[in-house]
Amino acid sequence: MTGRVLVTRLGHMVLVVLAVMTIAFFVLRLATGDPARLVNPPGTPENIIAQTRAQIGTDRSLPVQYLTYLGDAVRGDLGTSFRGAQSVGRTVMAALPNTLSLAGLAILFSAAIALVLGALAAWRPGGLFDRLVLGYAALAQATAPFWLAVMLILVFSLRLRMFPAIDMSSWRSFVLPVTTLVVALSPVLTRTARQSFLETLNEPYIKAARARGLPNWRVFAVHGVKSASMPIITLIGLQLGFLLAGAVVVEAIFNWPGIGKLILDSLASRDFPMIQGGILVAAVVFVVMNFVVDLLYTLLDPRVRAGQT
Amino acid sequence: MSDVVAAAAEQSAPKSTRAGRDVGRRILRSPLAMLGLVGTLLVLAAAVLAPWLSPHDPTSQNLAHILAPPIWAEGGTAEHLLGTDGLGRDVASRLLHGARNSLFVAVAAMLIGSGLGLVTGLVAGFFGGRVEALIMRLGDVQLAFPFILLAIAILGVVADRSALHLILVLGIPGWIIYARVVRSRVLAEREKEYVQAARAVGAGSWRRLFRYVFPSVWQVVPVIALLDVGFLIIMESTLAFLGLGLPPPSPTWGGILAEGRRNMVVSPWLPVLPGLAILVTVLSINLFGDGLAAVIDPRLRRGGMRRILPPSLTAASWHDPGTAARDESSPAWPVATGEGAPLLQVRDLRIDFPATESTVHAVRGIDFDLRRGETLGVVGESGSGKSVTATAILQLLDPPGRVSTGQILLDGEDLARASNRRMAQLRGRQLGMIFQNPAASLNPVLTIGYQMREALRQVTGCTRKEAAERSHRALLDVGIPDPARVARQYPFELSGGMNQRVMIAMALAASPRVLLADEPTTALDTTTQAQILRRLVDLTEEHEISLVLITHDIAVVAEYADTVMVLYAGEVCEYGPVRQVVDDPRHPYTRALLESVPRVETADERLVPIPGDLPDPRAQRTGCPFAARCPEVMDVCREVKPPRFDIGGRHDAACHLWAPDRVAGSKP
Ligand code: SF4
Repeated sequence: MTGRVLVTRLGHMVLVVLAVMTIAFFVLRLATGDPARLVNPPGTPENIIAQTRAQIGTDRSLPVQYLTYLGDAVRGDLGTSFRGAQSVGRTVMAALPNTLSLAGLAILFSAAIALVLGALAAWRPGGLFDRLVLGYAALAQATAPFWLAVMLILVFSLRLRMFPAIDMSSWRSFVLPVTTLVVALSPVLTRTARQSFLETLNEPYIKAARARGLPNWRVFAVHGVKSASMPIITLIGLQLGFLLAGAVVVEAIFNWPGIGKLILDSLASRDFPMIQGGILVAAVVFVVMNFVVDLLYTLLDPRVRAGQT
Repeated sequence: MSDVVAAAAEQSAPKSTRAGRDVGRRILRSPLAMLGLVGTLLVLAAAVLAPWLSPHDPTSQNLAHILAPPIWAEGGTAEHLLGTDGLGRDVASRLLHGARNSLFVAVAAMLIGSGLGLVTGLVAGFFGGRVEALIMRLGDVQLAFPFILLAIAILGVVADRSALHLILVLGIPGWIIYARVVRSRVLAEREKEYVQAARAVGAGSWRRLFRYVFPSVWQVVPVIALLDVGFLIIMESTLAFLGLGLPPPSPTWGGILAEGRRNMVVSPWLPVLPGLAILVTVLSINLFGDGLAAVIDPRLRRGGMRRILPPSLTAASWHDPGTAARDESSPAWPVATGEGAPLLQVRDLRIDFPATESTVHAVRGIDFDLRRGETLGVVGESGSGKSVTATAILQLLDPPGRVSTGQILLDGEDLARASNRRMAQLRGRQLGMIFQNPAASLNPVLTIGYQMREALRQVTGCTRKEAAERSHRALLDVGIPDPARVARQYPFELSGGMNQRVMIAMALAASPRVLLADEPTTALDTTTQAQILRRLVDLTEEHEISLVLITHDIAVVAEYADTVMVLYAGEVCEYGPVRQVVDDPRHPYTRALLESVPRVETADERLVPIPGDLPDPRAQRTGCPFAARCPEVMDVCREVKPPRFDIGGRHDAACHLWAPDRVAGSKP
């Protein structure tokens, strides 16, 4: 990636984050009534509400609020929560690693599973294993992640008591939420992996490699996997949004102290700065992960690396 | 998820609109797709008829009768088939109404997304330029946007959430998937328009464009729409589960599950049932959608590693009519054994590509020898069977191609009957091959050096370092000045000539005994061609490698080969020492080939084509394959297949002109 491409790319990322911030800000303010009223219990005297309004800054005009928000954000200040005086920045940053570890593990495992299952299925299309893999993909794709999470809890936590259902304590806490996300992510990845294996195997260079005397397993494992992993990486980039949605659900169900849960909780209490902070950080993570995916792709494909297409 | 579908659909442009007609028929024949269709229709019926099917009002509470078990559990009653929930509401009725709500929201959202996408896609495709760039850019931005979080935020804070909010939030982001497909279809049709009319699309063409675009769009959009609905049902349920779906008391699957979860210790079926409903619904829709996609584009199911392995020629699969069908008049090709036997002896080789309707007989019983150290030139136009013969020797025929009869004897070992494992041992070590298109024959994502070392280590079992040294030398040998740099490069970074040299170096590095070079210099300029061929021939002589040089250019053979074999439509026309054949060609086809070689160096280096077409490769053949194009055709040519008449001095020609009685008669 050349310097100019990099700069354009970074500019693009900043723009996306800015767009998310802007839309989030206005959607939150236009969609609801007065947060000062919502923050206080019903029947609070008007003067107290006015006081709250001044305190949280909603007494100023929208453009002023927006510009203040942007200005503060640029300086790294995401404001303070409407309820209590927690710093949004600190709260969000505390939640971030929990979401990242969940999402990261989910991506790793589903990519690995997709490559292995896709490769084995492509070895003999229409064979028993292929049909099993496709069957799994079809079932997993039709499974609602939240339902699966609840079922896992029902079986493994309540019945078998193997894994904890809520909170993060040890590695065991990761098992059920990560499984849920992997089942949600892997079907599309697996099908794509299988497909790209099938396509790769028809390439002339596969035949040429075999003509050179390479055994089939090696042609498959080295030449096939290397070529077939490219579409997977692209696809992971495209699935990040879906993963984010999955993370929100999983965090809500497993009471996981991550960004998703933070946003959900803040929604209920109309804690705008907290919601905005959560969305902002999620947006940053999202564009950075997309960027990393592109970098990875570049690293793996020399043609892209050289700036060709 | 639908991006993948869209991408697949984009690539799989159905070739003709006629394909649409038998979609229905083929769906009926696919059991899974049928299952999906039936399931989808059942769910649809349940959703539409929910108010009449439901035994109870889904919202009426009965606190006296809460958490009743379903009928199959202990204490279940027919009154509440699936039991009641925590507020005493009938679960069956709630699930039915949940289907109604879920499907309504998902289908409405899909319609909004597809409608938007259709319009924007058409606009982008038709107008092109700035409008198109803007629309596509907008799509990119949206895909780079964590839209789902915003959706959650919007639904979470919106003053009084209604079905409309839900539909809009779920539906709008889907537009880009449809827009991309529609746009690419429009572009594809416009392309055709341009080619056909060779002018800008005028006003009259717009209508025609619509006529062509819509049928092809209608083939893809339903598939995407179906899979989209499946996805939207899950999203809708997820939002409902999070408490962001339809406002209560509307029953939704996600909502039932969320409520059921609270009581799941006492009534585990409460959370189980709605999930199953979702599973069955989405699975049915997806199966139907996949079935539809497969019917529209059957290519997606082809290929595979096992498929590219040739079926091993076991006794069962080995039918032997070839020996019977073989001409008794050509016993001139007995298998030689012992000291002076040729290195490679091919006997009555027949290669078929079976298809459902008819089999292509690509090679129809050819015999030839390759002596030790010899360079055999194989000449023929495309379709003559020359490349197929070479691939068959390595047992690398593309499926469904197979050697149906015959022998390929390498030092007496029959390669046609060798196991896959044995062939893998022979390839590289004993048999090398240079393919037509060097750039495509090298893996684009691995360096030249890696691919050379990988093969060398595999074949010779040498160490990494030795392999590096040997490939270094091999690259130097073929005239690559700085092998160290080239080894670090990727195929796309090298010119065609360089890649060709690399391919030759790769094939030679392992010193095979037989090297098959299939058009090793096509797509190169004449000077480079000559250089590379010279190098190749010199090196094979140096390393005592027997070379089979396959080309369409008889001039190349005349210059570099010792022996020549002329192939036509899968049969041998003429075979013999190169000087004899070139100076005194006997077969009319060989003569035509020699005459078509451009005498003067013209800008266009290709052969002057011989008028006429190749005979149908699927047809049974009687008589001479060249009869239709032969200037000297006689009556006997159409009825009797000419055997290979001996001319003398290892030279033979399969032509009735050289029948001994005829030759004797004309020359008293
Ligand atoms: S056999 Fe007859 S048709 Fe065939 S090449 Fe000879 S003369 Fe021509």
